[in-house]
Amino acid sequence: MKKKKISYSEEYREQFLQSNNITFNDGSVVKPEEIWDFLVNIAPKKYPFAFEDNMFYGSTASDDATLPAALKNTYLNLTSSERLEKATANGLKVAFIQGGQSVDPYTAAGVTALRPALVNMWTRGKKSGKSVSEEELGRKTDKERAYKGISFEACNTAGYEHIQEDNLNIHIVAPYSALRCSDISYSLEAHRHGKRKDEVKLFLADYPMYHQSEKKWAIEYFVKNLQRLVKTLDEITGKETSEEDLKAAIKLHNQGRRIGMELADLWWSAETPPTNGMDRSALFTMGLLEMHADTQASLDVLTEARDSIAERVKNGIKGYGLVDNPKRLFVCGSCIHLDDYRVEENGAVVVGTDNSWSHGSTLVAEEGDPYYNLAKATLEYPYEQSIEKRAAWTIEQVKKSKAQGLLFLYNWGCNTQSAVARAICDIVKRETGLPTLVSENELVGLQPEQQQNRIDAFIEMIR
Amino acid sequence: MIETLQIIRNRLSQRPDELKKARESGVKVLGWSGYNIPEEIIYALGIIPIRIAIGGDEKLVEVGARYISTRNCVYVRELLGLIDEGKDPYIKNIDVYAFDATCLQTFRTAELVEFYFKKDVFVLGVPRNFYWDEAKEYFINEAKDFTAKLEEKTGLTLDAGKLEDAIRLYNKTRETLIRIYAYQASRNNVITWDEVYEIIQAGYFLDRKEYLSLLEQTLDELITLQENSAVTEDENEVRLFISGSIIPPGDRKLINIIKKLGGRIVGDDLWSGIIPYLDLNIEEPTIAGVALGYLNRTPHGALPYLDLQSDRRLKKMFELIDEFNAQGVIYHTLRYCDPYTFKAKETKDVLAKRKIPFLEIHTEYAGSDIEAIRTRIEAFLEMIQNTTTLQYEKVSL
Repeated sequence: MKKKKISYSEEYREQFLQSNNITFNDGSVVKPEEIWDFLVNIAPKKYPFAFEDNMFYGSTASDDATLPAALKNTYLNLTSSERLEKATANGLKVAFIQGGQSVDPYTAAGVTALRPALVNMWTRGKKSGKSVSEEELGRKTDKERAYKGISFEACNTAGYEHIQEDNLNIHIVAPYSALRCSDISYSLEAHRHGKRKDEVKLFLADYPMYHQSEKKWAIEYFVKNLQRLVKTLDEITGKETSEEDLKAAIKLHNQGRRIGMELADLWWSAETPPTNGMDRSALFTMGLLEMHADTQASLDVLTEARDSIAERVKNGIKGYGLVDNPKRLFVCGSCIHLDDYRVEENGAVVVGTDNSWSHGSTLVAEEGDPYYNLAKATLEYPYEQSIEKRAAWTIEQVKKSKAQGLLFLYNWGCNTQSAVARAICDIVKRETGLPTLVSENELVGLQPEQQQNRIDAFIEMIR
Repeated sequence: MIETLQIIRNRLSQRPDELKKARESGVKVLGWSGYNIPEEIIYALGIIPIRIAIGGDEKLVEVGARYISTRNCVYVRELLGLIDEGKDPYIKNIDVYAFDATCLQTFRTAELVEFYFKKDVFVLGVPRNFYWDEAKEYFINEAKDFTAKLEEKTGLTLDAGKLEDAIRLYNKTRETLIRIYAYQASRNNVITWDEVYEIIQAGYFLDRKEYLSLLEQTLDELITLQENSAVTEDENEVRLFISGSIIPPGDRKLINIIKKLGGRIVGDDLWSGIIPYLDLNIEEPTIAGVALGYLNRTPHGALPYLDLQSDRRLKKMFELIDEFNAQGVIYHTLRYCDPYTFKAKETKDVLAKRKIPFLEIHTEYAGSDIEAIRTRIEAFLEMIQNTTTLQYEKVSL
């Protein structure tokens, strides 16, 4: 097995120290010196798994020491567990949500919303000294516990294994029931029989389907869902969230979404990809301001990232580890990631995904009733539209990102994404002439090699 | 076998030709799949409703997998295969399709039927927070929109009087079916559960007025036969309740295995069984009244409910188990049928608290697991025979 340890050479230290501080929601500030010290001296010992560039699992840490924002993203990821432990001990309330939804109402209510990846990160951060293999084994074991409590056919287990079995300090499980995930409402329901069923509140924001954004009554119904959601969050925090609070949250998140879109446009405009796939993914999704359990910290790093990418594009800097003129892949599907390390080793790079980008690129109107505006925008997420509409939006992203091939991946057990994978690919192929591949992904699988073989063959086939 | 069942079978064999003739005279046929499609409205519009539900054919499942992934349940895959093949006599006679969004996979199937086969498809949105007042309002609006779109497509108009007539007809049909159903569970039964199940599913296709008349005929026959029937003691009888995923016409694998092993099914809460007909109270003869009647029934497993203690679906299951004196539950789950698979473990746990044995059979339409299922059911029946005592009580619904 090929292994490589990621470390940051002293030669990049000075450049990093010239970069910006990070300010957190509570007003505290961390300086680049502290971040560098953490990344070089503390984290590699505490979280060795994150610094192992393993050909089967990839890494968590960025290996591009010349991109401060990527390193800061690593810092925020690796400190999220400790920060959440402290913040919840000091009264912060936390909601489990799912990916594919914006967190504006949670921000408005002062509740930190975490999607599955962040809840996993919180859990894994509580144990130190693990190698990447031990870490992966731990994830599989955790999932097995959830499967026993729910079903072995579950993909998204709504954090059941951590919240019900591990006593992770989540106060409410409150996702949206969108089509992106067929498991979410059933997994949410499973919490009603978990060990902590009496402590953890449950709420489902019911996402109407089928031309939902064109139906007045569907928008009104979703408005009621959002209002009930905020009221339920208020019951947890003991505060009262006003419409002004929601407006302010929408403004804040719009700011993140706008910068995220600017960053993406810059990245896509470059002939030479300015970062590798892993860093691109981290920077694009930072626009959601929900990746680090701290909106202000995410916004700080995102703003810095945009400026860095602009500079890189201007100077034609190539992303770390990429070959010249890598083959450009666009990836569709929920909760899936290609192994960037393997993709790039084979001469390609992932230039975009539709998953979080769908809501990351949907702005919410800021004037007027904030609940209505948020409901309407949410029901307009391209990912949740009819096959033709979603495909049309996907084609637009494929063209903007100059992708040369499209993969639609779905996790084992993901009914609703797998159901339309073929249809979306058929339309993209017909309209653009690009090659497409539909492939199954095993979320915590033991045999990624089979899938990788197919992806490698696909990359080879792209001219 | 009761004589009327044979008549029903004969009429079913003639039904496709009748549909063809009706269409030639300008009548539209609507094929639907789901749990919350309000048939009364379709019928009142003068459209012939056909519930599309078929299973058990591996070949069609393979055909359907060209359009939907193999990670979707065999039921929806077969449905797509059926439409692609276009040989089924009912499919051949469908003008428009209707699906509801109760089960997400059914919803996706609707999208694919529209996209790949270019059929006219109507979709009825169904709220997941179905117990909220706001959700009821949403569903009423969906039902009104569904009706308006049907009217627009067919050029027909919903007449208030015809809707009232349709509600009366359907209420009577449900009432009669429920009475027939009780007979199969009685001690001196002259009709079996699977015969009643067959009668229920015949109602998917037959003309609704004629169906009611056949049900009434069946009931009359049962009343006469039952009066004269003698009770045969069967010490080894094991009374079973079936729950879980849909078992549509054509899929008799599990039922046949249970029968061959001597198990006696006495009740079900299947989507394809008696449950859609229970507790459907339409309080006013309007679209809103019909919509609420449907939404307030025992909910489908695909609609989540966040409090275990007050879950109406489980409450109904217990009620039916008690009503029919079932000694054990066979919980049938189709592979990738998340609405029911995800609830299997929990259902087992809640039944265990009342010491009701539970067996989950997780299967597809392939024949390769027949022996494995047989062995598991055989052991389950033996276990029940050895551990529980049957208490006969009066069965009525």
